[in-house]
Amino acid sequence: MKAIRGVLLTCDSAVKQILLTLNERENFIIEDLDDFHVVIKADEEYRVRRELEAELEKNTYSLE
Amino acid sequence: MASKRAAEGPADSFNPAKKSRKGKDDEDYAETDNLDAVEIQSPPDTPSTTRGAKINVSALTRKLAEARHARVQEEAHQESSLTAHRRQQDALVSHIFHDLDFSWLHLKPDHASRPLWISPEDGHIILEAFSPIAEQAQDFLVAISEPVSRPAFIHEYKLTHYSLYAAVSVGLQTEDIIEVLNRLSKVPVPDSIADYIRERTLSYGKVKLVLKHNRYFVESSHPETLQILLKDKIIREARVHTQVVDTSIRAATFTTSKAPVKGSLVIPGIKEGEKKKDDLLTNGKNGSKTDAELFTSVVGVDNDEVDEDDDNVHAFEIDDAKIDDVKKRCNELEYPMLEEYDFRNDTVNANLDIDLKPSTVIRSYQETSLSKMFGNGRARSGIIVLPCGAGKTLVGITAACTIKKSCLVLCTSSVSVMQWRQQFMQWSNVTDKQIAVFTAESKEKFAGESGIVVSTYSMVANTHNRSHESKKMMEFLTSREWGFILLDEVHVVPAAMFRRVVTTIKAHAKLGLTATLVREDDKIADLNYMIGPKLYEANWMDLAAKGHIANVQCAEVWCPMTPEFYREYLREQSRKRMLLYCMNPKKFQACQFLIKYHEDRGDKIIVFSDNVYALEAYAKKLGKLYIHGGTGQTERMRILQWFQHSPEVNTIFLSKVGDTSIDLPEATCLIQISSHFGSRRQEAQRLGRILRAKRRNDEGFNAFFYSLVSKDTQEMFYSTKRQQFLIDQGYAFKVITHLDGLDDLPSLVYKSRDEQIELLSSVLLANESEADLGTDVRAGEGDLAGTITSKDFGMPTKMPAVQRTTGSLTALSGAQHMSYVEQNKSANKRLAREVAPRHKLFAKRDKDKATARKEARKP
Repeated sequence: MKAIRGVLLTCDSAVKQILLTLNERENFIIEDLDDFHVVIKADEEYRVRRELEAELEKNTYSLE
Repeated sequence: MASKRAAEGPADSFNPAKKSRKGKDDEDYAETDNLDAVEIQSPPDTPSTTRGAKINVSALTRKLAEARHARVQEEAHQESSLTAHRRQQDALVSHIFHDLDFSWLHLKPDHASRPLWISPEDGHIILEAFSPIAEQAQDFLVAISEPVSRPAFIHEYKLTHYSLYAAVSVGLQTEDIIEVLNRLSKVPVPDSIADYIRERTLSYGKVKLVLKHNRYFVESSHPETLQILLKDKIIREARVHTQVVDTSIRAATFTTSKAPVKGSLVIPGIKEGEKKKDDLLTNGKNGSKTDAELFTSVVGVDNDEVDEDDDNVHAFEIDDAKIDDVKKRCNELEYPMLEEYDFRNDTVNANLDIDLKPSTVIRSYQETSLSKMFGNGRARSGIIVLPCGAGKTLVGITAACTIKKSCLVLCTSSVSVMQWRQQFMQWSNVTDKQIAVFTAESKEKFAGESGIVVSTYSMVANTHNRSHESKKMMEFLTSREWGFILLDEVHVVPAAMFRRVVTTIKAHAKLGLTATLVREDDKIADLNYMIGPKLYEANWMDLAAKGHIANVQCAEVWCPMTPEFYREYLREQSRKRMLLYCMNPKKFQACQFLIKYHEDRGDKIIVFSDNVYALEAYAKKLGKLYIHGGTGQTERMRILQWFQHSPEVNTIFLSKVGDTSIDLPEATCLIQISSHFGSRRQEAQRLGRILRAKRRNDEGFNAFFYSLVSKDTQEMFYSTKRQQFLIDQGYAFKVITHLDGLDDLPSLVYKSRDEQIELLSSVLLANESEADLGTDVRAGEGDLAGTITSKDFGMPTKMPAVQRTTGSLTALSGAQHMSYVEQNKSANKRLAREVAPRHKLFAKRDKDKATARKEARKP
């Protein structure tokens, strides 16, 4: 079996739910460990972080 | 804020130094301080420096310089190269600020004692509200500029055309404005600002719009000005030629008459002894005498009389249909028209014999706002801005009682029509016959020659077909000349509707009232030429400090979404999302905890929810009483009575109906679980519910305002947006991320995961339409968008979708081997049918009263 390089993400439950939704579109989660931890593919890390950031930013109000 | 940051440039100068020259930052820092110290120590050369200020400066200097005093002395000889230093430092920082680099504005030597920063670019003024003379400065700034944001320590104001126009219309002189600004400013008033003020104020107040014998005239004491105006096409076309006119003969085309003479005028409700103007003078310690005098002459309300050198005024008539265009055009030409009404010398219109009741006393800020309106013995048109619960209605009524002419009151909904009528009866001695109501339901006329009519905007502005009765009523309204028109909640009225009202109804003076001069669309500027300038805007924090409105602690409680709810939230794209974040079990728990906590403290709590589905679910689960649009009138009264009198009922849940139409002075704590998107106005209105708390004058009393927000959802966005208005008024929202002791609460709802999932499935089963806001309140005919009864606060409306479902008859009738048992009963039902029990003492008194009344009725 081929080994995949993974990254362990620690997050709160809400962020984990967002990750799960993102995963539905494009699979990147290797293992869903518990409420606060997931292992994802290492090469996807940057993209996931960026998308997560964009998702969270939607709920922030700024004056501009 | 730009100017502040820029002006503080020198102080920040060590920042870039750090970046560019790491080793030298220490030295640069020292130099900066050194410069300041040297400057301050140089003898102040402006004669206006106050004594207190000098002491201040020296004290400050000592504090600042003490630590580095040795170094200061060492380098004092460098003063000659001061300019060189300055240039060097400027160069270091200026690149950061790009266009906003104001380092070329040099601070005055005694800048520490002066409270203002002025931005030369956009006319923003920053006030240091902690300065000892800040109060005086504030009075002045309110008169000449618009408050943008007023938190505790730093206030921001903005000079605009309209604010300067308002300043001139209350009688301030151009050079005085610049002079006072210069005295208060840390930097000399930039030329661009001085020019701006001169340019804007020069032409203001020269032209007046006067209503005479039901016809509009443009009036001026300068015939040249009228000539200029007449050269404009729009105005020329709007002109009505009454006599045979030959335009080549210049002066003869204007009708010329004597200018009215002013006299003394007393606004009712003000006791002479109470007339205080010491606000400006008490600070004598800080401001020298000359300063104080200057302030009173500029800010004081007594001296603002418009100069009337020329006894002859010239006028030409304009068409009433085009009045609005002319006004707008005049504003564009920078000859805005003043609208003043010399009501005491108006013999054409019949007087209305009304007065405030002797028991009615108006508060100092209400008096100030009215004195701005009646400053020169005549009534000016304009807008008065007061917080919710600070007695706007009373201001309006007092104004009507001062003018004593026929009066038309326009409000936004039929509910407030009745409230206005009732308030008029309460505060003034107007009789039943003199006050009439014009709504869809009732069309009355007052008896006699003059009176008051209360109506809604849309009744008056309606252009569609009307019933015969309302047509007649409209004829009655348009045929007469009104002394005074009162416009309630001016910020919600659409411009087009306003225009129709203003052009169809002929009124001498207009007064707009509002609590929140914000619109979700930025159409505020339109109000300026349609009604007039903003005459007065109260400072919320000031009123709270003086005990006129309650002190409020605002908090935003962040409730995390449970994973199950958040999962569904992310998958759901429709309006149901909203239902999901409202029904978040953590929010339930937070709500339960806060209710428990405040009930134990002895607070009376109102919980607001715009969403009726959530409202019922919360109230039923927590076993509390609730009122929404569907609650019957008797049930409603019973619940309110219990809330007011019984110590057993301390919490009620209210839907949108409670936003304005229910007055509950007992409430001291407010919890918001669902609200109308990002409506800043609703937030302010809701806060207004507890501002008039009965107990507000108890020592150390605080009212509480909580917004429960589900974390990581859209609600966070809306919540921040909603708060902006209140933040600008100086309220600070604390963020509570964790409620201490929440988990230890016995009988905590939805504690187990199973319960939460059960709740989730019931939410998912709910119809999409349940997610709609304020569905319970039906808008009456003639209610405006943006008022409480309407669903939308200036947002696009969606048509309610009709749903068609199929099912078997047995299933629908509940006969499929199922029997229905309601476990989750409404607490309303448990309420005894009788009224709240009263103490025996009162019961006896009531009985006595009843018998006394019976006695009195007997002949």
